[in-house]
Amino acid sequence: MTLVMVVDDDQDLAEMLGIVLTGAGIDVDLVSRGDEVMDVFRNNPPDLVLLDVMLPGLDGIEVCKLIRAESMVPIVMLSAKGDTQDVVKGLEAGADDYMVKPFRHPSELIARIKTRLRRTNSDISGLLTIGDLAIDVQAHQVLRAGKQIALTRLEFDLLVALAKEPGRVFTRDALLSEVWGYRHSTDTRLVNVHVQRLRSKIEHDAEHPEIVITIRGVGYKAGVMGGS
Amino acid sequence: MNRFFWKVRNSLAFKVIISTVILSLGVVWITGSALNSRLSSGIREVNLNSAIVEARSTIFTADYRFLLAQGEKDSVVQKVVDDVISSATTITSNENTREVVFARSPGNTRAINYEIASNLLDPATIPKSLSDRVRKSSDITWQYVTMRYLQGTSAPGLAIGQKVQIPNAGQYEMYIVFSLANEEKTLNLINTYLLIAGLILIILITLITWVVVRQVVKPVREAARIATEFTSGDFRQRMKVYSQDEISTLGHAFNEMAESLEQQIARLENLSRVQQRFVSDVSHELRTPLTTLRMASEVIAASRDSFDPTVARSTELLVAQLDRFERLLEDLLEVSRFDAEVAVLEAVDFDIVQLVNRCADDLALVAKERKTEIFVKSAEPEIMIKADIRRVERILRNLLANAIDHSEEVQIDVQIKASDRDVAIGVRDYGIGLDENSLTRVFDRFWRADPSRARTRGGTGLGLSIALEDARLHNGELEAWGRPGRGAHFVVTLPRKTWESIDQRLISLQPEDYTA
Repeated sequence: MTLVMVVDDDQDLAEMLGIVLTGAGIDVDLVSRGDEVMDVFRNNPPDLVLLDVMLPGLDGIEVCKLIRAESMVPIVMLSAKGDTQDVVKGLEAGADDYMVKPFRHPSELIARIKTRLRRTNSDISGLLTIGDLAIDVQAHQVLRAGKQIALTRLEFDLLVALAKEPGRVFTRDALLSEVWGYRHSTDTRLVNVHVQRLRSKIEHDAEHPEIVITIRGVGYKAGVMGGS
Repeated sequence: MNRFFWKVRNSLAFKVIISTVILSLGVVWITGSALNSRLSSGIREVNLNSAIVEARSTIFTADYRFLLAQGEKDSVVQKVVDDVISSATTITSNENTREVVFARSPGNTRAINYEIASNLLDPATIPKSLSDRVRKSSDITWQYVTMRYLQGTSAPGLAIGQKVQIPNAGQYEMYIVFSLANEEKTLNLINTYLLIAGLILIILITLITWVVVRQVVKPVREAARIATEFTSGDFRQRMKVYSQDEISTLGHAFNEMAESLEQQIARLENLSRVQQRFVSDVSHELRTPLTTLRMASEVIAASRDSFDPTVARSTELLVAQLDRFERLLEDLLEVSRFDAEVAVLEAVDFDIVQLVNRCADDLALVAKERKTEIFVKSAEPEIMIKADIRRVERILRNLLANAIDHSEEVQIDVQIKASDRDVAIGVRDYGIGLDENSLTRVFDRFWRADPSRARTRGGTGLGLSIALEDARLHNGELEAWGRPGRGAHFVVTLPRKTWESIDQRLISLQPEDYTA
C-alpha cells in the first residue's frame, strides 16, 4: 500500500486528512512537529510527504530542505498562505507541488497526490536523448557520459515531457497539464521554479541553458543542438 | 527670455529686487534730472549776468572812443575800430573766446564800410531776430546762438549787441559773442557724474535689497523645501531656528505642525497596520479549521444518498455555505493585502482574447441558469499582453458575474479592443442598470445596488472593489456606466506591458448602442 506522511500541527485537520486519505486507500503517517519529521521519515520512508508550512519545532521550508538532502520523494506543501513568497520559497526548497488551504475539494487533494505518485510515461521504452543527456525512462535514470544525475520524480517527468517531443515548444499551461495534471491552472510559478531547479542540475551553465531552452513569451522546449 | 520671466514669476527674491530696481531707477532719474536742470540753469544765469556786464562795459567803452574820434579822419576812425576789436576780443584757447562783430545797420549808405567780424567768425552767426531787436532797442539785447566760423567749426555761444555810432560811417550794430563751449563742457561733466552716481546708487540699492530679501526669503524657501519633503513622505525634516524674530516664529510654528503631523501619521499608520495585520491573521487562522470543515462536509455529502431528505438538504446547504464562506474569506484576505499595499503583480505574457473566452465559457452554465447568454466580440483574434493573469482573470470573472446577476434575462455583450499600447474590455448588460448615486458607489466594498434584492448568486460584495484595485495595480482603469432600466457598461482598460500607463480609452464608457 502507498504510504503518505502527513505533517501538520493542527490535530483536527491532520485527523481529517487521515480520514480522507484512508478512504482513498492510502496509508497515513501523522507527524505534528517539524523536528520529529526526519526520525519518522528514516524509520518508515513514505511514498509522498504532505507538509504544512507553519510547524512547531522546525518550519516546513526547513523540513523540506532536510528531506530533499537525502531523498527524492515527492513533497506537496500545504500552505495557509497563498502569498507568492511562501509558495516560491517552498518550491525552491524542493517541494514538487503545493496546495493552499482551504482546498477546493478533498478530491482535488487526492487527485494531486495520485498524480505525484503515478508512474508516468510507462509507455515509453528505451532511451531518450536530450542534449548530451541520455534518459532511461523505464529505469527512471538520467545519464550524462555514463554518470547518473539525481532528479526528483517531478523533475524527471518534466525533462521527459520535453524530451519526448524535441521540436515542440511547450507553453507553461501545457506543461502544467502534462506534468502536474492541472486543468487550466493559471499558476505558472510552479513551472518557472521547477525549470530553474532542473536547469541547476542538468545544465552545464544554468545562466546559458542549452538543454531546456526558454522561448520568450511562449514557454520552453528541448534543446535540439545537444550540448555542442 | 522665457527663463527670465519664469524666474520673475517664481522667485520672490527676484520679484522684490526687480521692483526695487525699477522704483529706485525712477527716483534716481527724477532727482538726477531736477539736480541737473537746477545746476545748468544756475550756471547759465551766472554766466549770462557776467557776460552782460562785460558786454555793456565793452560796448560803452567803444561808444565812448567813437565819440572821442568824432571829426577825426577816416584812418584814425579805422584805427579806433581796430583797437576796439582787438581790446574786446580775447584769443585764449578755443574756449572762453570773445568775438566782436560790427554790422552795418540797414539804411546806412555811407561809402566807408567798417563791417567786420573777428577771427573768421561768420557774420551769419548773428541771427536776424537778434539784429532786428538790437535795431529797435536802445539798450543791450542778447540771444543764445551757434557760433559758426568760416573754416567750418561751430560752438554754442551768447551774442550781446547794441547800436553804436561810428564817426563818418553812420549807425552800426556792435555784437560781442561769448563762446559757451566751456560752460557746455562743465554741464556735460556734471551730467556724466550725475549719471555715474545714479548707476552706483542703483547697484548699491540692488545689493542691499538682495541681502535683505535673502534674510527673509531663505527661511521661507527652507520651509517650502521641508514642506515638499513632507509631502513626499519624509516626516523627520525640521526647520532650523536661529533667532527670535518673526521668521523664527514661522519656524517654530512650522516645526510644531510637523511634529504633530508626524505623530498623527505614525499613530494612524500603526492603527491601520494593526488593523490590517489583524484581518490578515484572522483570515489565515480561519483557513485551517475551514479546510477541516470542508473536508468533513465533503465526506458527509459523499454519503448523502443514504440520508433522509431534510438531512440531505441540510448537507447541501452546509456545503454551499462553506463555499460561500471560503470565497468571502479569500476576498477579505485580498482586500487586506491591497490595504496593506503588499499586493504584487506577477506578470506573464498571455492572450487576453483566449482568457476572456475561457471566463465566458466557465460562466456559461451560470448564465444559462439566469436565462442569459454571454457574447464575446474581439477586434482581433489574438491580443498578447503582459500582465498578472490571475488578477486579470479575477477582474473578468467579477465583471461577468456582476453582469449575469443584473442581466434580467437579456444577453450580455463583451467586446475587446486593442491598440499598440493598451487593451480594453467592455462588459455590457441590458438589465436593471444603475442610477447616478449608485455609479459613485458601485466600487465600494459590500455595497449593493438594491439592498432589498435577493442575493441569489451569493457574491461576496467585494468583487467589483477588488476588480478596481486589480486594474489600478496594473496602472489600468476600471470605469462604470449605467442608466436605470437601460443596463450597465463596465470598461476595464489595461496597458499591454506591465508598469506602463494607459494613454487612451479604446472603448467609450457610454455604450455605442445607447441614445438618451
